[in-house]
Amino acid sequence: MITSRRTFLKTTALSGASLLIGIDGNRLLRGADTRAAGPFKPNVWIRIDPDGSVTLTIGRSEMGQGVRTSLTMLLAEELEADWTRIKLVQASPGPGFEDIGTGGSDSIRDGWKSLRQAGATAREMLAMAAAARWKVDRTTCTAASGFIIHTPSGRRFSYGDLVADAARLPLPEHPPLKNANDYKIIGQRTARIDGRDIVSGKARYGIDVKVPGMLHASLERPPFAGAKPKRMQEEKARAVHGVRAIVKISKGIAVVADTTWAAIKGRTALAVEWDDPPPDAFNSAAHAKRLEAASRERGFVTRKEEPPPGTAPVAETIDATYHYPFYAHAPVETMNCVADVRENRCTIWAPTQAPNRMQKQVAQLLGTAPANVQVNVTLIGGGFGRRLAVDDALEAAEISRAAKAPIQLLWSRPDDMKHGHFQAASVHYLSAGFDAQGAPVAWKHTKAGSFHNISPLEPEEKRDTAWYQDWSWGVYDVPYAIPAIETAYVPVDLPVRHGPWRAVFAPSSVFAREAFLDEVAHHRGADPLAFRLDLLKGTDTVKAGAVTIDRRRLRSVLEVVRDKSGWGAPTAERHGRGVACNAYFGHTYIAYVADVAVDHDGDVRVERVVAAVDCGRVINPVGVEQQMEGGIIWGISSALKGEITFRDGAAQQGTYADFEVARMRDVPAIEVHVVNGDAPEPFGMGEPPVPPIVPAITNAVFAATGKRVRQLPIRPVLLLS
Amino acid sequence: MSEVAVTVNGSRHVLKVDDDTPLVWVIRDALALTGTKFGCGVGVCGACTVLENGKAIRSCQVPAHEAAGRSFVTIEGLSRDVTHPCQRAWLAEEVAQCGFCQPGMIMTACGLLHDHPDPTDEMIDTVMSDSVCRCGTYPRMRKAIRRAAEEMRAKKT
Repeated sequence: MITSRRTFLKTTALSGASLLIGIDGNRLLRGADTRAAGPFKPNVWIRIDPDGSVTLTIGRSEMGQGVRTSLTMLLAEELEADWTRIKLVQASPGPGFEDIGTGGSDSIRDGWKSLRQAGATAREMLAMAAAARWKVDRTTCTAASGFIIHTPSGRRFSYGDLVADAARLPLPEHPPLKNANDYKIIGQRTARIDGRDIVSGKARYGIDVKVPGMLHASLERPPFAGAKPKRMQEEKARAVHGVRAIVKISKGIAVVADTTWAAIKGRTALAVEWDDPPPDAFNSAAHAKRLEAASRERGFVTRKEEPPPGTAPVAETIDATYHYPFYAHAPVETMNCVADVRENRCTIWAPTQAPNRMQKQVAQLLGTAPANVQVNVTLIGGGFGRRLAVDDALEAAEISRAAKAPIQLLWSRPDDMKHGHFQAASVHYLSAGFDAQGAPVAWKHTKAGSFHNISPLEPEEKRDTAWYQDWSWGVYDVPYAIPAIETAYVPVDLPVRHGPWRAVFAPSSVFAREAFLDEVAHHRGADPLAFRLDLLKGTDTVKAGAVTIDRRRLRSVLEVVRDKSGWGAPTAERHGRGVACNAYFGHTYIAYVADVAVDHDGDVRVERVVAAVDCGRVINPVGVEQQMEGGIIWGISSALKGEITFRDGAAQQGTYADFEVARMRDVPAIEVHVVNGDAPEPFGMGEPPVPPIVPAITNAVFAATGKRVRQLPIRPVLLLS
Repeated sequence: MSEVAVTVNGSRHVLKVDDDTPLVWVIRDALALTGTKFGCGVGVCGACTVLENGKAIRSCQVPAHEAAGRSFVTIEGLSRDVTHPCQRAWLAEEVAQCGFCQPGMIMTACGLLHDHPDPTDEMIDTVMSDSVCRCGTYPRMRKAIRRAAEEMRAKKT
């Protein structure tokens, strides 16, 4: 996850008239000779045309994180371009885009360096071109709103007038970047570029794609891995008006029809009956027992801190087991894909976070070269990590190939809910040792969980400590100053599909860590917030694997929520206040205080959340607030609403009625306080708000009821008065 | 298969569709108005909400033969230039994240404000809680609905 990325720029003259700059996020090239640079794998292209328009082609997918807006802001700031003349184009994988995709909350972190540098480079080249034409010194020229101005004389050229000259110039080696004090765009509340399209229904998502001659498909998938159809009513399905074909593919049986509705009806009429599940088919209750047993094994040690000499011995130990369930992503736009396979070529339109993976896997499926697969990325109606898997495109391509027509495959809501790449269940075993004076001197956290199966794993021989750490975010990177620390990971086979889900491995681990820390504080008789601050004293930075945690930043978000929430003030009966915090990869630091009320039936209501976030330099404050609110509400869903359970190898839930998510009535008052927003560099905001909210809620439930929640979602029956 | 006459955004269309085709697919597939979204097909998410005589209805729950002769407004027909008070309020409060559920949410809010020009917070929560936003834009939607209600009331006086 942590790579130090440098920037590599390349200019190309396009049609002899435009200025074109490509950015490679992995390489730095000094000087003008770009051809000698070896492989060039850009992920952003900037083009300035003779009419002065600026085109920014980005490989990042928009799924609600506002990335199309914030990346444009970064470019515009240094380019000094007219904001309204920047056009955004969504990149497709290809020779110009070999490394695109969206995940890990790293779009802003990458764009911060590359886009500002690209903007400054282009601006500098335009200024040099203008200075040459005027035969004046470059330093007498300034850039503003799409013009280069000769300050002494007031003469000006528009960018469009200069691009042909600029494109012939060598790349400036160190184009100066602005001082933060001079920012005009970065840090300003900026409306979403696609806001008007969204509220007027013009925004086009995957489901909205229509291509000439397109047919519609609905796919019946085996309910459990390896299921075989016993019987089906093919004649009845074919008799449905509008049904064109019944297509058997490796992933199931598809009905292809003229309209979406005919495909749905045809699939219902097909009435596939599947054979009975084997007695050992996957069952989530049995899996939880396996995980719990595994959590007691030693596992692969991901961090070990020996207590310094003189540390008092452990006189007393407490321990606890935390269970984390399966969850679905449940985006409102169900999985879907349009595929058009013609001989050895294929065109895809998909709302995907992983266009390169999609291109490669579809090419592999069709036995053709990746270059023969064109992937067009649409807006995404909710990603949350689900769309890093490309199963929708593999199915659609197979159906299109068999049907010999472009088809749109639309997943029904139950398809989406039952055939997800779920957040995997895990079990966490934690213990803490206290010395004779009651001070915590030892911390142990073992996570039993499962590797993803959206893509092939590294071979066994490559699985080192760093590799195992990457499966246990929030476990090995415990930020607290406890003399002896041992964390471990125990992999447990999981035969059902699972994969990244907003904040990936952190939500389960941080839930267990922050809830158990609350137990430790209470055992010690300490205030949980003051206890955390105490454990964050000592050295200011702590290294865990590749992560460096700055305890000062974590302390400061905790202090803000302490001061803003009225922490310590008394609460009413069956009301409680809880705290939790997390340092997401040492990047984004968040603390929450949650206030809850628990009624006599055990129903929990989150009444207020006070949040403090330090994500470094804030690019667009609107985006930061939105992600905080969204992350908090995501956490309320996982604390209080639905889980996915499996029986006979199949997910039991299929709708928003049996896998419930938070609705407007569940939303508390939310206060977001941004800390350190003028820091030197920015960090991501998509995932970090999620992990600490659930333990803040469950710790508040303990404060309200004296009952410790060690299993999610919270069960009212365990909280009766 | 039969001919169904339906008015959408003021235009009358005579369409050859199967009688039982849900209105959401008539709108999306036959009329190619894709602002109205499909989310669940069983009326529990609200993504497909459209207006009829100012009231919000779930288009996935109305089969074509029942829609015949009726008149509906979709998000595309709400205003010509994004000036409906709900659209303006949605932009002013910076509501949208992914945006997918938002047309349905806006239509649901329009229906609420048609029935209750000055809704209480409880009313807003009750009505809007029948719809799903997975990004969590609810707090901003609440504010936007209050803002739109104010603007609409101010216009009337």
